[in-house]
Amino acid sequence: MTMAQANVPAERLQVHSRFADTDVNPGDVLMFAEGLPGYESTRQFVLLDVPDQAPLKVLHAVNATEPCFLVVDPKCVLPTYRYELSDSDRHRLGAKDASALLWLAMVIVDDAGTAAVNLRAPIVINPERMTGRQVMPNACVYPLRYILGQ
Amino acid sequence: MLVFTRRKHETIMIGDGIEVRVLRVGREGVRIGIVAPPEVPVHRQEIYNQIRDANRSAADTAHPMAAIAEQLRRHS
Repeated sequence: MTMAQANVPAERLQVHSRFADTDVNPGDVLMFAEGLPGYESTRQFVLLDVPDQAPLKVLHAVNATEPCFLVVDPKCVLPTYRYELSDSDRHRLGAKDASALLWLAMVIVDDAGTAAVNLRAPIVINPERMTGRQVMPNACVYPLRYILGQ
Repeated sequence: MLVFTRRKHETIMIGDGIEVRVLRVGREGVRIGIVAPPEVPVHRQEIYNQIRDANRSAADTAHPMAAIAEQLRRHS
């Protein structure tokens, strides 16, 4: 970045939905190079903390009203949760090792209001590079819908 | 769609870096080996579709966050 560019105030990015109505610093944007299955063209997300809603967080598309996902640390749901990241996924996240990565599982709520958590295909974020992707190993012991209260 | 006839151990190349090899041909299915660079994702289509459907169900849930957060806190 040149000095001239550094002096231009960074434009805030809009995040708007019923879960969040705010603007975010461009430096907080996570790049999902392949989008997410079902939302392949949405590449930019932010991870938002919501007051009083811990352990939930919101993974929110930037400059778009959708998609917006409620996410949770999978270890919060299943303390023994353990996932071996493939070299290929680690490479695509630009991570030297897996220790600094942030893991999130999407929450799925059925029509009756019962929450399940997708432990099968978690979202992995590399905070050092601000990259993210949804990983889906071909062999996995965890369910796509792990129902809370089990 | 390109269509090839391949026998056991025969290969198809896609571009420079992707190799698709027939490992075994059985009555129930064909076992296929794929060699691809790390930046190329390879998935069974039905698993990708299941995850896509789960993502669509997860997106923009109509339920109040507080009720879901409460279920999570009760669970943990």
